[in-house]
Amino acid sequence: MQIEIQLGPQPIDTRRALPDEFRDGTGALAEFSGLVRGEESGREIAALEYEAYSPMAERVMRELITELGRRHPCRFVRVTHRTGFVPVGAAAIHLMIAARHRAEAFAMLTEFMDRLKQDVPIWKRRALSREEFKARPNP
Amino acid sequence: MRVLLFAHLKDATGLSALEIKVAGTLDADGLWNELITAQPGLARFRATTRLARNSEYATAQTRFTDSDEVALIPPVSGG
Repeated sequence: MQIEIQLGPQPIDTRRALPDEFRDGTGALAEFSGLVRGEESGREIAALEYEAYSPMAERVMRELITELGRRHPCRFVRVTHRTGFVPVGAAAIHLMIAARHRAEAFAMLTEFMDRLKQDVPIWKRRALSREEFKARPNP
Repeated sequence: MRVLLFAHLKDATGLSALEIKVAGTLDADGLWNELITAQPGLARFRATTRLARNSEYATAQTRFTDSDEVALIPPVSGG
């Protein structure tokens, strides 16, 4: 199983293709995008700010995928998580999972997302209003 | 020892990292005592904060030395 982990402030390209070498033999391609909603705790927002302890987050994600892959063997897993300011409607996280069959791809996807929210050191730091987002540092 | 702080622990202390001097080895309880001595404001977060040593979650067997990089990991909320 090949694992790609990307963590950083750049916008996520959710249309990136599966690497060519995994096309042959892949019967299921599962993708998931987690988007920033326009409200948080009942108030309208313009963006969320994410913070990560990057070296550990990357390490924990890789370990989680390796562990889950023993029960749900997949061929390729790519996780991209954005940090810093993420505007409403943009992806904070994107997963691409290629497997021979859909069952292991879906299981990997749902179990990884559950574990991410328990163990991966990434935080929603704060929700920004439209005014706060406009006034953010280094826009 | 360099200790990294994240999320609301930064707000509570006004720090993203702190340096403490550790003699010998410490278990988690010993390390927390040192941390709270250095930053009393951390005490109320102890029950909900996990310790990591050199980018790995600490276990009951983990021992900490002065050369370690320690991170205080409050409840996570990625995705």
